Amino acid sequence: MLNCFVSLQTTFIVEEVSKIIKDSVETVIGENSYKHGRVNQWTTSVVEQCLIQLSKLDKPFKFIVNCIIMQKNGAGLQTASTCFWDNATDGSCTVRWENDTMYVIISIFGLAI
Amino acid sequence: MEEYQNGSEVGVGAGSLLWFGIESVLGGDDYSQTHVNKWTAAIVERCLTQLVKINKPYKYIVTCSVMQKTGAGLHTANSCYWDTSMDGSCTVRWENRTMYCVVSVFAVCIA
Repeated sequence: MLNCFVSLQTTFIVEEVSKIIKDSVETVIGENSYKHGRVNQWTTSVVEQCLIQLSKLDKPFKFIVNCIIMQKNGAGLQTASTCFWDNATDGSCTVRWENDTMYVIISIFGLAI
Repeated sequence: MEEYQNGSEVGVGAGSLLWFGIESVLGGDDYSQTHVNKWTAAIVERCLTQLVKINKPYKYIVTCSVMQKTGAGLHTANSCYWDTSMDGSCTVRWENRTMYCVVSVFAVCIA
């Protein structure tokens, strides 16, 4: 039982990270419409909120949070990522969120120390 | 090419390495919805392969975004919770007539 608990503390759990991302986006952006003057502040706030919640998890991990906000006007957007790490302990979670006027893509990568 | 570096450990060559990775895949092409999936995968793979060849004790994360030029606004941001003395990142912004490409590499030291 102890081994099981220890391994939960040192692995990347996608569900809990996914919840952190969704809560951060809803809180910061919510139903706001895309505004060029505010997007800078939104991207900063979203990544900051995510990082604060992640550090509260108190796990021995380094985190990288990446946020993309794109206005909805018919343009195509494709994103990809690849990682060279330890498959047993490290992981990532990507959430795609949208409202009427913009797409938001947030990726979190967690690397065990 | 626009390049943004953070942290000295990533190395002076990272920017050019990423730029050549993008240029070798996208150079001369116009945005194509049928091919873009293949392009982003090829770019991240190529960049990662070159980074691993440097043979330093690092874990790497490479991300790539390709966006069609239609006048839409695009903002990206990233934030990292790591060891600022050993870890670092590099972001390169590339463009041609029909698309933008932003590639970032994050290098995390293996203690």
